[in-house]
Amino acid sequence: MRPLAAVPPLVLAVAAAAADPAGGYVSTTLPNGLRVSILRDPAHPIVATQLWVHVGSANEEPETRGFAHLFEHLMFGGTAENPSRSYWDLHERHGGANNAFTSFDETVYVSEIPPAGFEEVLALEADRMVNLALNREDLDNEKRIVTEELRLRTENDPMSRLFTLALRRILGDHPYSLSPTGTKEDIAAATLEHAREFYARYYRPRNGHLVIVGPVDPAATLAVVTREFGPLPADGVTPADVPALDGWTFPPETELEEDLPPIEVAILGFPLPPADAPDHFALRVVLECLAGGERDPIEDHLVRERRKALFAGAETFALRRGGGVVLFSVSLPYRRKATAFRLLDETRRHLASFEWLDEARLAAAKRKLEAGELRQAYWAGSRAYAVGRAAWWQGDERLAFDAAERISQVSLGEARSTFTKYVLEPEPIRLYLRAEHVPLFVRLFGWLYPLVHR
Amino acid sequence: MIRRGRDACARLLPLVLALASPAAWPVEEWEVSAGTTGVLVEDHRVPLVDVRVEFAAGTWMPWFREAHAEEAFEIQLHDSAGRLRRRADELALSIDLDAGARSSEIRLSCRKDDLRAALGLVREVLANRDFDRGEISRRKAGRRIGWKASLKEPGFVLDQAMARQLFERADPRREPLEKPRPVLADAERLAAARDALVRLPGRVIGFAGDLTLEEARSLASDLLPPASDAALAGLEPALGPITPAAARPTGQALRLPRLTQAYFAYGRESLSFHEADYPASMIADHVLGGHFNSRLMVALRHEGGETYGAAVENGGGHEPGPYALTTFTRLENATATEQKLRAVLARFHAEGITEGERAAAAGSLVGSRSFARQSPGQLLGEYLWERRLGLPHGFKDDLSRSAASLGLDDVNAFIARFYDPALFTMLRLAP
Repeated sequence: MRPLAAVPPLVLAVAAAAADPAGGYVSTTLPNGLRVSILRDPAHPIVATQLWVHVGSANEEPETRGFAHLFEHLMFGGTAENPSRSYWDLHERHGGANNAFTSFDETVYVSEIPPAGFEEVLALEADRMVNLALNREDLDNEKRIVTEELRLRTENDPMSRLFTLALRRILGDHPYSLSPTGTKEDIAAATLEHAREFYARYYRPRNGHLVIVGPVDPAATLAVVTREFGPLPADGVTPADVPALDGWTFPPETELEEDLPPIEVAILGFPLPPADAPDHFALRVVLECLAGGERDPIEDHLVRERRKALFAGAETFALRRGGGVVLFSVSLPYRRKATAFRLLDETRRHLASFEWLDEARLAAAKRKLEAGELRQAYWAGSRAYAVGRAAWWQGDERLAFDAAERISQVSLGEARSTFTKYVLEPEPIRLYLRAEHVPLFVRLFGWLYPLVHR
Repeated sequence: MIRRGRDACARLLPLVLALASPAAWPVEEWEVSAGTTGVLVEDHRVPLVDVRVEFAAGTWMPWFREAHAEEAFEIQLHDSAGRLRRRADELALSIDLDAGARSSEIRLSCRKDDLRAALGLVREVLANRDFDRGEISRRKAGRRIGWKASLKEPGFVLDQAMARQLFERADPRREPLEKPRPVLADAERLAAARDALVRLPGRVIGFAGDLTLEEARSLASDLLPPASDAALAGLEPALGPITPAAARPTGQALRLPRLTQAYFAYGRESLSFHEADYPASMIADHVLGGHFNSRLMVALRHEGGETYGAAVENGGGHEPGPYALTTFTRLENATATEQKLRAVLARFHAEGITEGERAAAAGSLVGSRSFARQSPGQLLGEYLWERRLGLPHGFKDDLSRSAASLGLDDVNAFIARFYDPALFTMLRLAP
């Protein structure tokens, strides 16, 4: 294991500066409540600016469903001082790029631009944070556009349809059950009055975090940030936390059909705790051991040793208030559902032997995760995202800088006990996916397949 | 507060051009042995190294396809006991084996102190003859399933139809869009194909990251077996002629059940970037459909909310490929959107662009080159790409600068030649 002391001076300087605003890193809160983090890295050719607005689709009320994403679109409209498209035109002139994304937990506005255009980004960002000219014409147009996005991403893609349906069926009334894109009905019902309320409530300094990474002088940049954002009103509300996934009650088994190729998929799902849980880093390490390598212990057991599935493995996902790990097997459409789940259960029990998780595997997984953390140094946007996410998801932006050290401290016992706690002990959530149409000859082939494939 | 307008573009361009100088590219190249070249992009910010080992044949070459070298190259990480993949995990490697159009490549990333062992693993992979037969069977099944899934994707169906309009069946530009050939299960033949591939002259061993030239030279010296001097036939891409516009239909209706939108591709063949008009096409395409406020986006998204996206998709490069204006809309709006799409092209062709649009596109094309200089792996990738195609170093920078230096009349003269609606075919996909 490479000790932290061997990490290049730049990375150490960053970690140290988190406690020293006079150095290469400034983290502060303006009097109006806007959190600001500025990281200087002269090696980057561009400046990444991210404005994190701490509202996502999970925070929507019944009358504002779909608003977090709709607002992501509306924010590219104009203000009294800067007409519509100003933000894009600025990036266009400088060869920059900008975008935004809406998740379950946040909406993030992203700019990456050569340094010459950077200060203008801050001016525009501050202006649109409170001065957006919301009108009915723009709202109606964006509702049409967002509906087309929803049709593209969800309705006309079988896997997305399946994902959206599975979320609703499995998560029930949990706020994470609704896709951030919303539904066509939600979007159609959006009113200008509700849009203005949503904007005034959440798009304000107290609910925002501005992160800047690149070849900037932190003190001078903070002065610009203060000039542009400082006059904004000291208001805004951060929504209450949604329930944690690991305390939620899920249906024990769900079965769905979709317009899939002729396959069937059995899934065992296990909820994971919020991102600020004490065992966060142990989970990251053990899930890397499970699903992050060239060899996958689930595939090794179920596919290669037992030859009971075509493909198998594990996938993970993470949200602010919890995540999940799923174990899956893919078969041709001849296996009975009960058999597929029995085989997957047997593989889960096999994982309890921990033959796949020894000191050597643990050490290698930690090294790979640490390399991933180091690699962020190349990308200003990745570093900005890491800071914004650590602050919002984990309540401590220093975790963006010392994740490698925390990963290195995870022990084998800790990794195994964490896996036992979240994957081996709980009763799994079962999901079975079928293709809607399976030709007869494919079924016949499926019956013959195990006889000829030894 | 905010500077606007075209004057700002004119003021910025010299600065952007200066910042985009390729002089910042620290690339070293040396001969490792006969038929093998070493390349290093040195960057000591973090103790990581990217390695790319490139072999001189790919899927567009007749020999490669006939020998089933694609599956041979990609299967070699899979030995029957899984030992090679286990070793990759022990070394914390990310490793990919990928057969591209003109070359095949092993790519890996690791920490510097794992590099020597990682290269040892590359040697073992290239010597592996014990291919996992179960993995070959799974790849067969995977190709079948993947093909069936592709046929449900609107984008795939349109791309396939456009390629069929432009290229003959045997043209390799159609290959990824047609039913996949069966996977060869004969492990001996696969091993022979792999051995022939890795011994072809023209190999490159590329490093990017925390490595000195001396270290790179030492590590590369014994990585590969000697190159072969035996000649192989069929190592040139076998591209056929493009179907002339006069022989193509003016439109085609395609069907895909269950869609709730209609999808459009209004296309023709593209230029290759060796053609004199290519820099002008960069400006024109950017204005027409290359950014958020492009002509297509303004007409089809911002003004009427017809769509979420409208863009130019250009599949050309070293040789012409498919070129299309694409968009999609709700079914009840399909006819109106098709008319708008046609109108945007017709007006673009008839009127050309304005000086303001030209200047903004020039600034964007040159300034955006900064994004290609963030990591040493990016620099290595672009250098290898230039080298593989026989292009001068800094080719993409030069193209952007050439485009930015064109006058409005040059660009509009090109637009009058290329964007004639009579040369385009309208593909419409609906349920």
